[in-house]
Amino acid sequence: MVLDIKENKSKSTIYVPDIATIKKVEKLSPIEKLFTIVFDDPKKQEEFSFRPGQFVELTVFGLGEAPFSIPSSPNNKKCFQLCVRDIGNVSGALHRMDAGSKIGIRGPFGKGYFPYDKMRNQNILIVAGGLGLAPVMSLIDYILEDRKNYKELNLVYGALDPESIIFKDRVKEFEKRKDIDIHLTVDNTDASWKGNVGVVTKLIPAIECVPEETFAVVCGPPVMYKFVVKELEKKNLRPENIYLSLERRMECGVGKCNHCHIGDKLACVDGPVFSLWEIRNLKEAI
Amino acid sequence: MLYKILKKENYTDFVEKLISEYEFIGPKKKDKVFHDFVPIKDLRELDTDYKKTTIAPAKKLLFPPTEELVEYEVGDVIKVKPLVESSEKILFGIDACDINGMNFMDWIFSTEFIDENYFAKRRKLIVIGKDREPSETCFALSMGAEYAKDGFDIFLTELEDRYFLRIATSKGNEITEKFARIQDATDSDFRDYDKFMDDYRSKFKLKINIDNFYDDFEFIYSNEKYWEEASKNCYSCGSCNLVCPTCFCFNVKDDMQLNLKVGNKMREWDSCMIPEYGLVAGGHNFRPTKENRLKQRYRCKLKTFVDKYGKYACVGCGRCIEACLAKINIVEDVNSVKKEVSA
Repeated sequence: MVLDIKENKSKSTIYVPDIATIKKVEKLSPIEKLFTIVFDDPKKQEEFSFRPGQFVELTVFGLGEAPFSIPSSPNNKKCFQLCVRDIGNVSGALHRMDAGSKIGIRGPFGKGYFPYDKMRNQNILIVAGGLGLAPVMSLIDYILEDRKNYKELNLVYGALDPESIIFKDRVKEFEKRKDIDIHLTVDNTDASWKGNVGVVTKLIPAIECVPEETFAVVCGPPVMYKFVVKELEKKNLRPENIYLSLERRMECGVGKCNHCHIGDKLACVDGPVFSLWEIRNLKEAI
Repeated sequence: MLYKILKKENYTDFVEKLISEYEFIGPKKKDKVFHDFVPIKDLRELDTDYKKTTIAPAKKLLFPPTEELVEYEVGDVIKVKPLVESSEKILFGIDACDINGMNFMDWIFSTEFIDENYFAKRRKLIVIGKDREPSETCFALSMGAEYAKDGFDIFLTELEDRYFLRIATSKGNEITEKFARIQDATDSDFRDYDKFMDDYRSKFKLKINIDNFYDDFEFIYSNEKYWEEASKNCYSCGSCNLVCPTCFCFNVKDDMQLNLKVGNKMREWDSCMIPEYGLVAGGHNFRPTKENRLKQRYRCKLKTFVDKYGKYACVGCGRCIEACLAKINIVEDVNSVKKEVSA
């Protein structure tokens, strides 16, 4: 079988990142920033196409690499964005970088994406918690840019407190728009807050949906999935129509290093987005 | 496959020629107990009749414990250079179950994406296998890995006065034609080989009750008491992973030289048995306890790749049983799962 693997003339490897430049840095919350990135090679930038839910491996040269989902729309071919929380080595270093800094990018990776193609002419219910709004923003923008081909669009978003809400301008915009219903809640309130208080699961029962014609998308901290799935099952949504984006430690991104194993699946190549049906009997998954 | 015969009187001459012509890696006695695959310069260093498994499997030649993947120079312009090493080598005296372990690694590093850092080395590795008596801890027969069907260029089976050669590649054929006095295998050679293989298989005494494990694992999965008992002595040291011919987990790291100008991206072996393995940024650990981790190891070896690869990711070499400081024994554990289910 070894003979079947053709000689690689370029002698390049899957671990070589492409050089890119940070064009813009925006503060989204006390711990999250949005980075706008463009590949230095215009041809690479032109070719770079991804699907909502996919991720890239970002290298801070000399320090390390970490995976980030892409929150910007796949239709934007001029640049892409990454929303990063200051929490680890790589993300911490990234937060100290300004516009003009050089980074490395590998990807996009992941065969499992939010199935925008299957969702056409269906209702969509998106449930996001905390930083989990970032990966689904790509899907939301994609749908809003092709709005007539989708039915009802509901977004349930829960944050720790009003200050922690990311994409605040976008959230405000969604609140004004008629073609997306946003249901916002925070765990801890402050004096300025007039909206819902509590976890996202509290808001799900009130949302009306036709079970056979609804796709659900869930993205948030690991603890959230089990409870949200329970609520969605109560609404009789089909398990093959519930999609979950699962976070794991993805080191290589290409299905080799094995860190992101969930039962017989690898989050990096089989996911990071899975249908509930796919992972139903994988007890470690959610 | 070509079947040839090499008479014993011509064996030494054949191997000596290979040692002088090629970079030659083979098993060498390291101390009272262990052998290791190391470069061999003189035939006297070579000892293919090792009784215990080699301390480290031959995977280290293709997938070294640490390996630089990419080199880069930072500055106004960042220059990135892939580091792909490949030089022709002979790997001699590897046994059937280790070849099967390498076949699994070939599959891992070629599935979805081709890992050129691995395959550049693999393409240039000439594998000459040789049968070996099973060690006390070897259960390769139960795993269906005691016999290598492919993954080698030449495989030598020692009969009474001659070697029975299976030649799987044109490279293997080229080498034997150039360096060995060989002849075609006759009916009587095949008869002796068949007898040898029956006898060889009868020497595998250790049996693992693996047949129903795929489903039985789901039965035992949530039995906390079982996993607590099975993992209670585990030191989370990762020795089992380091000696395993099919363990392939690694970390990807970036490193910078002290001049802060040249850095590299490298990989190093990782272990699913150490606590940091499932840790993500923010402090959440997907496998915080040793129960979780042992369960994951068994699942990975005996179930996950039955789904993906169609075969077990364990070749039954028995190295992990020898290496474990806490005497955790995969054979005993799997057999006890069977007992629990059938009780």
